[in-house]
Amino acid sequence: MARVSTRRIVLERTTALVVTILFLLPVCWLISTAYKPSNQIFSVPPRLTFTPTLDQFRAAFALFDVAALVRSSVIISLGTTLLSLLLGVPAGYALARSRSRYSAGFAYFFLAIRMIPAVAALIPFYLMMRDIGLLGSWWAVIVFNTMLNCAFVTWMMFSYFKALPPDMEEAALTDGCTQMGAFWKVAVPAVRSGIIACALFCMMFSWNDFLHPMFLTTLDAKPISVALLTAYGTKDITWGTLGALAHFSTIPIVLMALVMNRYFVQGATNGVQ
Amino acid sequence: MAQISFEHVSKTYPGGKAAALTDFNLTIKDGEFLVLVGPSGCGKTTALRMIAGLEEISGGTLKINDRIANDLAPRDRDIAMVFQSYALYPHLTVADNIAFGLRVRGAKPDVIEKKVRETAELLELTEFLERKPARLSGGQRQRVAMGRALVRAPNAFLMDEPLSNLDARLRGQMRAEIARLQRLSAITTVYVTHDQVEAMTMGHRVAVMNRGTLQQLDTPRQLYDRPANMFVASFIGSPPINFMEGTLVAHQGGAALSCGPLLFPLGSHAQRLSAREGSKIIVGIRPEHLKVAPSGAGPGTLSARAAFVEDLGATLLLHLDQHGITIGHANMVDDDRDLMSIAPKLKALVDSAARVVRDDNVHLTVDPALILFFDPATGAAL
Ligand SMILES: Nc1ncnc2c1ncn2[C@@H]1O[C@H](COP(=O)(O)OP(=O)(O)O)[C@@H](O)[C@H]1O
Ligand SMILES: [Mg+2]
Repeated sequence: MARVSTRRIVLERTTALVVTILFLLPVCWLISTAYKPSNQIFSVPPRLTFTPTLDQFRAAFALFDVAALVRSSVIISLGTTLLSLLLGVPAGYALARSRSRYSAGFAYFFLAIRMIPAVAALIPFYLMMRDIGLLGSWWAVIVFNTMLNCAFVTWMMFSYFKALPPDMEEAALTDGCTQMGAFWKVAVPAVRSGIIACALFCMMFSWNDFLHPMFLTTLDAKPISVALLTAYGTKDITWGTLGALAHFSTIPIVLMALVMNRYFVQGATNGVQ
Repeated sequence: MAQISFEHVSKTYPGGKAAALTDFNLTIKDGEFLVLVGPSGCGKTTALRMIAGLEEISGGTLKINDRIANDLAPRDRDIAMVFQSYALYPHLTVADNIAFGLRVRGAKPDVIEKKVRETAELLELTEFLERKPARLSGGQRQRVAMGRALVRAPNAFLMDEPLSNLDARLRGQMRAEIARLQRLSAITTVYVTHDQVEAMTMGHRVAVMNRGTLQQLDTPRQLYDRPANMFVASFIGSPPINFMEGTLVAHQGGAALSCGPLLFPLGSHAQRLSAREGSKIIVGIRPEHLKVAPSGAGPGTLSARAAFVEDLGATLLLHLDQHGITIGHANMVDDDRDLMSIAPKLKALVDSAARVVRDDNVHLTVDPALILFFDPATGAAL
């Protein structure tokens, strides 16, 4: 019995390790290009040893306003996340506690919004944003991404709230809360792990999103994802410079995932019973 | 302090097949400990949630202190409820759980602290105040749920099967504790249970419900001695009462009961039942009222073979084959429908000194004054 489970653990860990390495390999490659001298990046066979240099970073900072790019990315993802949660969490709650028999249908309808190809909505949205003068600003991307993400958040939170027995909110009502008080003080903290998962999802989506800001932003609102993918081939930008720039696109999201993940695990194990 | 009354209250859930409550009338007196008891699905929780304001009332009026409360928001009723699931707030510590209601109502921090401490002491929760509910045992959680209600000194306490998730020993202990706390605070309490032992031991008065209607509202003693109908007679008392079919016959001046080969003189019942002479009647005899006859067979004596004997220590529960007597099913409770296929046996609870073993022939008597009579058509007590 014990030996079987030991063998299983070894098997599981090995699998996890192999999968992790497979996923990390391209990242390592990308990162390493940033520290290689330009003439060694494409050397065949790839060289495992090289003299690290910061030249690529100097080039990146000379060619891009890195701080502005990162700031745009942060504003767009935070804005999208906040707005999506602000709309999606109460909407999911309302649907979950609704006595209408169409509430589940509605929730799936919201999920369907998330499923439509974004490009189909992008063109009419582009025209709308142009007409109200928001085209080119952060707002255009935030609103568009919120539309997609908030539908998803609504659906996710619908399932989280649906799984939460209404007793606790009812206890809060008899304890003297208003409906709104019961929602904020009891229901929301009880599904904290779900909210964090949604936030993480929205952040990742917006941070990595390329297509929408590409269409909807102009130079000064451009996030780092757009800069990265449109830069190659223009000016004197090399793979090495891109590798350096990619640091600023990857590191924040990795850090955030690490921090949020801790809250996520905490939230998931905090529930009663 | 509150008096709560239901006047012709009814409830039909959207999509529900039958009404959960029909023409429900009940007045809970100020300061009273009232137990609502009945089989599961009979509408107890529905009635309780109506008092709390958590369930819409389909018809009739609910009054709290003579004020119509049908549409009053829960928070304006100042009523505390202990949920069957306890419904503790998982993200708050025990102290914050208990303090929650006070905080929401804007009590001062020093008052809150003092009351939480007092309540925790009363319920022996002091050492757990900083724990989250997830790290408490079932009994401790139950006490926190009680504490959350007690700390507020509300108009009324509502408790929905608060002990059903505890093990038997703890349940017995908490049963006495809750009754004690209620006597101490003298706050109107409505206690829901499906356990007739809790009903009999805890309440000043007990309301027995079945299928959304009130069957009888009375003291525990009266429910046992004078059940209003066959349902109450069978629901209260354990092991459940024996029902038999009989006929009232004229016998030596007074009425007597003919039950198969048996002939019981009716004693004190004779006068009351004389009008029914010649008609069929349902007889109810509680197992504990059957006594082993000292002198063997006779006209008022049942003779039967013990098909099965359960030794309960102080008493023996005899399951008796009794030929010639039609024995009805004691429990007409929906849950027990499965049991209907088993042929009913007459049950007798006798002193273990009787030393009856399986296949023995026993002779049993009963004090005629303790026999209950019911109308076969309506089930009502006669
Ligand atoms: N939310 C609901 N929707 C539909 N039917 C319900 C609902 N709650 C209870 N019922 C029905 O109403 C009846 C009474 O239920 P309840 O008051 O919970 O009974 P009890 O607490 O006595 O077990 C039951 O038949 C039950 O199926
Ligand atoms: Mg119930």
